[in-house]
Formats: sequence, C-alpha cells, structure tokens
Amino acid sequence: MTERPSHLPERLALLTNAEAAEFLVEGLLAGREDVPSIKLNQVAEPLPHADRRGDLRPVRDLVEDAMAYCRDGGLKATRADAWLAPRLHAALRLTRREAADTGLWNYLALGVAPDYVVWRHLPEPKDGKVAKVAADRFRGQYHKQAFARLWWAAELFRDGSDYGPVVTACSNQDILNTALRMSVINHRPTAQAIVRLVAKGVITSGREVNALAGAVNASAATLMYDVIAPDTERESRPLLEWIDEAETARQVPRQDLPTGPHEEPAPEPSVSVLVSYFADLFADAPVRGRDDLEAVEGED
Amino acid sequence: MKVYPYRRLTGNVSWRVESAQLKVEGEPWEDVETKYVSTVERVVALGPDEDRPDWNQARLRLSAGLPAKAVDAAGPWQDVKVIAVLTERATNSRTAVELSPVSDDGRERTGELYIHRCDLLDRASLAVHVVATVDHVPGRVIATSDVEWFVDVIEAAPSLARELDVKLIGFASGASRLQRFKDSPWLVDTTGRIPAVRVNTDFDGLGDLVGADGGNGAEKTVRELLLAQMCSEVWTAVFHSAVGDLEIEEDGTPLFPHGWQGEVLREMLPDIYPDREPEGALREVHAARTGASATGWGELQPRIHFAASRRAGVPRTLSTTIRDLERLTQGNDA
Repeated sequence: MTERPSHLPERLALLTNAEAAEFLVEGLLAGREDVPSIKLNQVAEPLPHADRRGDLRPVRDLVEDAMAYCRDGGLKATRADAWLAPRLHAALRLTRREAADTGLWNYLALGVAPDYVVWRHLPEPKDGKVAKVAADRFRGQYHKQAFARLWWAAELFRDGSDYGPVVTACSNQDILNTALRMSVINHRPTAQAIVRLVAKGVITSGREVNALAGAVNASAATLMYDVIAPDTERESRPLLEWIDEAETARQVPRQDLPTGPHEEPAPEPSVSVLVSYFADLFADAPVRGRDDLEAVEGED
Repeated sequence: MKVYPYRRLTGNVSWRVESAQLKVEGEPWEDVETKYVSTVERVVALGPDEDRPDWNQARLRLSAGLPAKAVDAAGPWQDVKVIAVLTERATNSRTAVELSPVSDDGRERTGELYIHRCDLLDRASLAVHVVATVDHVPGRVIATSDVEWFVDVIEAAPSLARELDVKLIGFASGASRLQRFKDSPWLVDTTGRIPAVRVNTDFDGLGDLVGADGGNGAEKTVRELLLAQMCSEVWTAVFHSAVGDLEIEEDGTPLFPHGWQGEVLREMLPDIYPDREPEGALREVHAARTGASATGWGELQPRIHFAASRRAGVPRTLSTTIRDLERLTQGNDA
C-alpha cells in the first residue's frame, strides 16, 4: 500500500494542477506506489503567508488520527468523513478565497497524505480488475477531491460556530456526495433545512436526496428562498478573527467537536419555514425506487 | 417556453451599478473611480491597481427601475421586492440584498451590496430578480432581468473579455515537465484558474518577437499573427479540455461546468451549432464525442476550428497581416 511520504517539510505548500498531474501515475492510483516526495516538494510553491495555520505537522497528525479512529473502532473508512471534516476545517482555518485555490488540496493529497487518499478511496476490486482510486480524489473539483470535499462540506453545512450539522451531513455518503454539489446549499438556511430533514430521518438515502434536490431546484426557479427565508447579513470579521486565533490555538480536539468561527447561526425562523416547505415538496416528489424499498448503500 | 403557475411580469427591468466604494481595515470608505465601473461591459473591476490599496470590503450602489404595471395596486402582484444576488461558483458564495423604493410611486429602487474580499476568488456575477406575493404565495420570482454584471476582484480594467495570460519561460531550463517540450515554440496550459500560454524563450528569437512592444512593421505584423494563432490554439485546447471533463447527470444530460470551462462552452457552442440552444448544443457535442450520435467527433473538428479561430480574431488578423505585408513589400520595391 501507498505509505506516508518519506519527506515531510515543516510547512504546507501549493501544488498547481499542472504539476500535480505529473504525480498521478497508475501505480499510485492502484495504491502500489509512493509519491516521490522530495521531487514533489521541489516543484511545490510556498504558501503566501507565514501563519502557524500553515504548519504541516498538525494536519498530518489529524489525518493519521482519522485513520486510527476507524481502524481501532472497526469502522469502515467512509466513517472517517464525519470525524475528519469538522476537524480539518478547524485545523486549516481558511477563507473561501484561499480554499478555492486547488493548489492546497493537491498538495494535501499528494504531498501530505497520499496514504490517506488511497486508504479512504481505493474501491474493492471487482470482476478481477485492478481497483484504482479515481484521479479526481487527488486532483479534482471541490466536491470530489479527497480533502476539498471535506472542507467544503464543513464550510457549507456548519451553522455559524456549530459543526454538529456537518457531522449529520457527512454521515451518509449518498447524501454528502449529492448535496455537496447543489448550489442551493450556498444559501445557509437551505443547507440547514436539508440537514434537519436528514437528522429527523425524513431523508435517508441518496435517491431521496436526489429527489429532494430536483424538487428544491425546480422550486427555486419560481420561489426565492432568500426572500421567504432570509439569512443574516454576512460579516467577515468573526471569520478573520478566528483565523488570527490560529496563532495561539491548541490542536483541534479529538473527542469533542471543535468550535468554528463565531458567526451568527442561520436564523431559526428561516430554517423552520424551509424545513416544513421542503418536507411538503419531498412528500410529492417522485423518488426512484421509492416503492421497492431496497436499501442501496453507497460504494464511496 | 417555460410555463409558470402564476402571472409573471413582462417587459424589462432595468438596473445598473451606480458606483462602488472600497474600505481598508480601520480606514474610511473611499470612492472607486468611474473608470473602474463600465456600464458598457457591465463589469466592476476591483483588482489591485497602482493607486488602489488592498481592500477588505467593497460596497456597490445599485439602482433599478420597475415598469408601472409592476407596482399597480390593482394588479396581480403584492409586496413587490427587487433583489440583487451576487454569486461566485468557485467560492460557493451567495449574497442577496433588497433594493428599497426611493420614489413615491415605488418604481425606482436603490440598495447597497456589501462584498468581503476574503469571500471571493476571481469573478462574481450579479443578477437582479423581482419577487412578489402572487395568489397569496410570498416570494414568487415574477421577473429576472436579462442584464447581468460581473464583479472582478483580480483585474484592474473593467472588461468582460480577459487578457490571455502569456508567460515567457525557458522550457529547457524550466520545470521538468516543460523540458520534454523544449523544441516546441509554445504550449497551452488549461489546468489553471484561467487558461495560459507558455512561450518558450529557449526557442531562438521567439521571446524577443512575442515579448517586444514596438519593432519594425514586419515584426509587429508577424507578432500579431502569431498571437492570433496562439489564441486560436488556446480556444481549441480549452474547448477540448472542457468537453472532455463534463459532469453527466444520472439521465445522461451533460452539465455546463463552472468557471471558464463553462464560459468557453457557452461562447463557442453557438458557432458550432448555430440553430440550437446552449443546452441542446452541449448534448450534441457530448454525444458526438462519445460516439452516441450520427455526427462523428471527426466531423465536428472543422466547426470547433471555425469557432476557435473566430473567437481568436484570426480571420481579421490574417487579412490585416496580408494587407500589411503587401504594403511592406511595395514599400521595399519603391
């Protein structure tokens, strides 16, 4: 299996998409080879800041603990998502502007923890064919890449400083993979309403999320959620202060959930309005295979 | 045409960005010069510039005008609101703000939209919707303006089209991945935030030719032709990389990608399938590429080539070049 990189520098770095492509070889995707880490660090670019949040070690430790959490508990690797997403978010302390740079995610996947990406995303071999990690788990869009998807799930589903909804959203693979790429969740009360329906057990599978997503999207063309369920005005100061606090912050807690930036939560009346509205929409939405209640568990 | 289960507002909703202001932490708001706000291109350019500090926050003053029937109390719409929404896909950002009435008849609306620099990467789009209570249902979208603006936080010039990112690099001495291309005059890189051209300075004389500003008539003519040719290659390359990486819905419908990939496709598809809507054209292209349609991928290439060279202005540049060269030769003869 792919191992921990032999060379781990002190600081995180950025690896452009073009450079990352050079390291996406068949042997790595099949989990047989390591990433040539010295060569990789020669072409990586330094972060544009010298903040402590750019230290590599705490992130590496966190990823190792995520793997240990599953191995020790006898859990499937997919269970790492709900554990790691809030903690990775709280350890990296990024703005969205920074998180939109794919260079950091490429570096995390190839330079910091390729062993994690292989461990988490290598499928079971099927029909005698060699199993391979999809390349977009190393270098890919925000809802596919191994670490970007966790960070964005935490960013889009946290309710102000509360990471609780993130754990709910990440606990079901189908829901996470489907919901994460829907742009309606960029409206915070909508994201919170969807998580509530999952927490209440109204929505339990990817197919159901797909059906809800279809209904919610179609309805968004005629109904403006920003008006019927207004969000608070965006304030960036709490986020920037939280990022500054990284200089003195302790390591993220392993047992309890960390605390996010002290932003206002999504207004409760707005979330409630959408919860009941979406529940009605969902009751009428066609779900593929709703009649034959066959449980389809996500592969991923 | 879409059918809505309620009365929609017909006629145009006009709106614009009136002005912009920037704020540096701990300092007062400062006006953005009008040269950075283009009503023709519909772009507000807030990128770094010589006389402009690194800002944390920006605010845009917006104004909109509603048709008279929108605010007719006897009409089908009550509680009419005008909402501006700023979105950027790369950062999954979404900000909505209501414009409030400033005229007695309620038709003129203004409002301020606040933007935080840390929330945006590159370029956000700004749209305006009219929302009302219809048949006792609040929040109905009764109209969406067909005018869209862009807020660009990278560029300093308010232009819809972007300058091609051209960098001069020695391939032989550069990063190892470039070395294998050391005999190539230039490369198109479509993997970054925006597409880029890398010009090989180890290719004799090419750096001087492309990098120079002036030069004699012949050099200038050749440079322009060369740049147009590069642009055409860029358009072809970005089209192929965008089409090659489409996300497909469960029912087989290809989705328009985010970012420049999507913009490129929307821009080029009308030249490739002039009689189709963008969504239909994308489906055709995807079918051709995957061998699922009668039109083969090969047959599509001349159309892609045509669309690319048109975007790059090759026909125009080429005809200018030919004319210039004729003049130069005549000049030499004389």
